[in-house]
Amino acid sequence: MNCTRAQENFPNLLDPRTPADAHADDRAHLASCPDCQREYASLARTLSALDRLPAAKPSPRLRAGFYAMLEQEKNSAASVQAAVLRHRRAARVSLWRWILAPLAAGALALGGFFAGTRYAPVPAPAIDPATKRELAELRAKVDGVGQLVGYTFLQQRSANERLQGVLTTLDQKNPDQKILANLVGALALDPSVNVRLSALDALYPHAGEQLVRTGVLASLPREQNPLVQVAMIDFIVAARDRNATPELERMSHNESIDRSVRDAAKRAIAQL
Amino acid sequence: MIATLTEINVQTRPSVVSLRAPTPVDTATDAISDHELMLAVRDGELDALGELFERYHGPLYGFLAKLTGHHAAAEDIAQTVFQRMLKYRHTYRDDGSFTAWMYHLARRCAADHFRKTNSAPAPTDPSDLQNHADEAPDASDRAARRDDHDLLHLALNRLDRDAREVLLLSRFQELSFAEIANILECSAGAAKVRAHRALKELRDIYLALQREGPARN
Ligand SMILES: [Zn+2]
Repeated sequence: MNCTRAQENFPNLLDPRTPADAHADDRAHLASCPDCQREYASLARTLSALDRLPAAKPSPRLRAGFYAMLEQEKNSAASVQAAVLRHRRAARVSLWRWILAPLAAGALALGGFFAGTRYAPVPAPAIDPATKRELAELRAKVDGVGQLVGYTFLQQRSANERLQGVLTTLDQKNPDQKILANLVGALALDPSVNVRLSALDALYPHAGEQLVRTGVLASLPREQNPLVQVAMIDFIVAARDRNATPELERMSHNESIDRSVRDAAKRAIAQL
Repeated sequence: MIATLTEINVQTRPSVVSLRAPTPVDTATDAISDHELMLAVRDGELDALGELFERYHGPLYGFLAKLTGHHAAAEDIAQTVFQRMLKYRHTYRDDGSFTAWMYHLARRCAADHFRKTNSAPAPTDPSDLQNHADEAPDASDRAARRDDHDLLHLALNRLDRDAREVLLLSRFQELSFAEIANILECSAGAAKVRAHRALKELRDIYLALQREGPARN
């Protein structure tokens, strides 16, 4: 047994995971060799100093950030869909129980989402007088840039078909103004949160278009769902739309609006 | 028709942020293994990740703080690690080990961080990384110990990152060498050799710093 061989085995001897009775030859050499003892002792001292190095503690920021992120993920449309699927597959629990539980827990109102998916297929929604009036108002705002806002997707039967309608526009590199106007219409008027969020996603690449900017801004005051409201505010920041500042100011002071939305509005004002 | 809906990733941007009080740790879940918790997260019980966070954010942060030499960077990376656990929860395997997976992600996130900042960890004041709740009764003893910790922090910072990483993984964490090898994407033998080489290097730097004495910096 020579020093080189014994020292090659030091990693095992120094590893607390190695059983005490293993490598008896090397241990025997170590017991009788002052050179190896010196080398071993200095390594062992360094390791023990390393093991005793106090662990730094994270600030409260880490925990706050984590739970905010978890909350956000739980409220994301994809997670909600997965939750619906899971509950449908398992035991066919009454959906109502599932819908009411998170509401009771103070979760976000996701009524729009369920309106769009739970009862599908639904008859083609007739455009009611209120929607017609809103459509007219929206047109009045957006027609300033010479575009007619329509909403042909509403003729589709189900939320999924409407969603597909929105998503097919994503494949088009240069959708024409009519398609963009339709997406604005979907954002403003579709009863499904899912469809509205998808429409907003589809509008992102066209944030530079006046029609799109005006349309998103015009849709913001009528939006009730915090998820979509925050997404719209993100859009406005991304589009650097300074015209939105007065509306954001108004929202940031409106106590009836969800706090997360008011905070998002405040942040947006600072960023614009 | 709902089945087709799930294939569409609708929400990709940050949306609602609600800073509500942390979920209290449910003592009833104490008996549940890390692995079972992560499988639950994978199956959509996202709250189970809160329990894993409570169990592991401390050690994970400690590892990252030593690896980066930076408080803020360690926090950012730890946050990203948990974010990726959520995002890639579907990739967690039935035969997985949660801690091995966590450090695997941590290593990736740290590498991304260093690529972005394009720098070796900046030398910081090591006392910044100290836990000041030192238990030594005597003040001078405590000071001496802190001084020693400072030297070791300095020495750690002078190792290159790969060496520091393998050494920290081999010492601080409850991982087998097979798992460490998995995390580092090398063989167990190679991981052992690298850890030992790093230890010798650390020892040499540490001893040199001790010889330099208080005149350092
Ligand atoms: Zn020897």
